[in-house]
Amino acid sequence: MDVAQALADLAELSSQIGPAVILDAEGTLLGSTAEADRADELARAAQDLLAAAGELHSGPDEVTRVEVELAEGALFVLREGGRTIAATTGPRPTAGLVAYDLRTCLQGADEPPRQKRRAGGRKPKDEDVRTT
Amino acid sequence: VRRLLRFVLLVALAVWAWRLLFGRTDAQERAGVSYADGSSLVLEAGMPEFARFAAIARTALRP
Repeated sequence: MDVAQALADLAELSSQIGPAVILDAEGTLLGSTAEADRADELARAAQDLLAAAGELHSGPDEVTRVEVELAEGALFVLREGGRTIAATTGPRPTAGLVAYDLRTCLQGADEPPRQKRRAGGRKPKDEDVRTT
Repeated sequence: VRRLLRFVLLVALAVWAWRLLFGRTDAQERAGVSYADGSSLVLEAGMPEFARFAAIARTALRP
């Protein structure tokens, strides 16, 4: 599944999650559900949060999750496999559920595209599914 | 009895107004950080580190 599809699924499945972005290890924006300006703000905030959280520990690479819950809403940032996903929610989100949805989206974006089934519903032969 | 009822009503109104004005959401404001080594920390409102996290988050939460 590509990043855009993973984000589209996230937006469809989670009613709590607002704008979301996915960044690569260098902080480059890979995809977003927000408009460009908003996506840039969200991406910058995510990186700043990771840096701030890293300063409290050994470094930003060690940070796996940051969540900031405020009266006006919450910002979640998750890192996994070198990628980062960040999203905002409204006030009082169900933090565990939001984090689960974001992690699922990030993992989904990493998955290679599924092979399309051939017409006729033929079972795949061994050589079709073998990986090297 | 009327005076007592009026007093109770006034007290209830005062408590409601106090909670509305001063019992606001600071207690709900917090930040949590998790690290790859399994450690985590929670920053509560009032801590200087939390103020920094909150300021960053507010840039993304602007309507």
